Amino acid sequence: MIEFDHVRFSYGAREVLRDVSFSVDFHEKVAILGGSGDGKTTILKLTMGLLRPDAGRILIDGQDISSKKEEDLREIRMKFSIVFQEGALFDSLNVKENVAFALREYRRLSEEEIEQKVRTLLKRVDLEDAMELMPEELSGGMHRRVAIMRSLAAVEPRMFLYDEPTTGLDPVNADIICKLILSLSREGKGFIIVTHKIFDAFKLAHRYMFLKNGMIMFDGRKEELTDSSIPEIQIFLTELSPRPKGSAST
Amino acid sequence: MIEQMDYAGTGSFIIILLVSLFIGMALSLQLSAELSGLGLKMYIGKIVGVSIIREIGPVMTALVFAGRVGSGMASELGSMILGHQVDTLRVFGVDPIKKLVTPRILSSLIMLPALTIVGDAVSILGGYYIAVFVSLQSDTFYWSSVREVVNVENVLSGFIKPFIFGYLIACISCYMGLSTKGGAMGLRRATTRAVVASFIMIIVADFILTRILLYVLGFSV
Repeated sequence: MIEFDHVRFSYGAREVLRDVSFSVDFHEKVAILGGSGDGKTTILKLTMGLLRPDAGRILIDGQDISSKKEEDLREIRMKFSIVFQEGALFDSLNVKENVAFALREYRRLSEEEIEQKVRTLLKRVDLEDAMELMPEELSGGMHRRVAIMRSLAAVEPRMFLYDEPTTGLDPVNADIICKLILSLSREGKGFIIVTHKIFDAFKLAHRYMFLKNGMIMFDGRKEELTDSSIPEIQIFLTELSPRPKGSAST
Repeated sequence: MIEQMDYAGTGSFIIILLVSLFIGMALSLQLSAELSGLGLKMYIGKIVGVSIIREIGPVMTALVFAGRVGSGMASELGSMILGHQVDTLRVFGVDPIKKLVTPRILSSLIMLPALTIVGDAVSILGGYYIAVFVSLQSDTFYWSSVREVVNVENVLSGFIKPFIFGYLIACISCYMGLSTKGGAMGLRRATTRAVVASFIMIIVADFILTRILLYVLGFSV
């Protein structure tokens, strides 16, 4: 279980999270919604111990990670598979080496075993033929798919963390990524998806949190979210939901 | 590591050659103009040799290195920070300092002294061209006066500096790169800071090192 207990976080003078508290079970499918700069990605980074809170506690399976040393966080991080915005593939490595990177770091495998494992993972996302391509040669959708497979290469995560996985993608590729996320989350594995694309969030999540001005303004189910009378949520929904078919465009 | 050495060394080679050649020629030209009037043209080789080996060669090569390699390091690491690649390394349990900073420091420690030696040689060659073909000095005399100053003290004095400069450039540039915040503007700031801070540190460190080396090597001031 992930627990945020009165967490505050600032980037310099800019306070991003103000007194954030929530708890999420590893099997839950959660979408954190909010505009740019509202601290959505910060929550994921804090969960992984990549950032440290200014105040409050972050508990992962009851262990407070807020003050853990970098070397002690490895065990915690292995519970998660995180995919950063735009994939964060290593520019200097080709697709095969990107996916193999984690395998080389975590496991002692022969080159043949690594090759086999990489091929199997990439086959799962129809990118077996892209093994020798460099990241700059990939489309946005391919980038995300490789990044998701890389994050899975060496660990058996209990939960997936996705940072804006469909942002910048066309609807077809966004749909492919959504389906991939759903297929990976079977077997009781949950995810936290951070996004401002509410349409995609509705396809994936069961629980929704709405972040605004560094605070969680809403935490509940889809119906509760769409019925919410909180003005910020209404604006968010109106601005980001696709227009109904047949609506006049001006 | 090899990739870093290639970027730092091979990539900077032609620039160092060009800069060093013209610095050597300009220095020789200035000395020639000044010393001809005093009837001291025979000292051109000696002064070119001493100033290039002990001072201008190491400093000029380091400045070019900071401008090209240091800025490259800062911008590369900065874009890795902004693109979450450094976070990804940490997630995989890899220490970014060991993976990203150490190879850059080591490659600078190897390549900057090597480039300085090449740069010194080319500068002296440039000085030779002006002294012999423009100032019409005897080439035998030029080379014998250069040989006079290529001694252990001078070479040591000029060879220690690039190691210190290389270390400073790599540390400053990596630090600035890894501290990048705030998108493209932040990347520009980090790169500029890396180059400016490296330039200032090279000049300051050069003075301090010169003072120490002159004392240690027994030169009277």
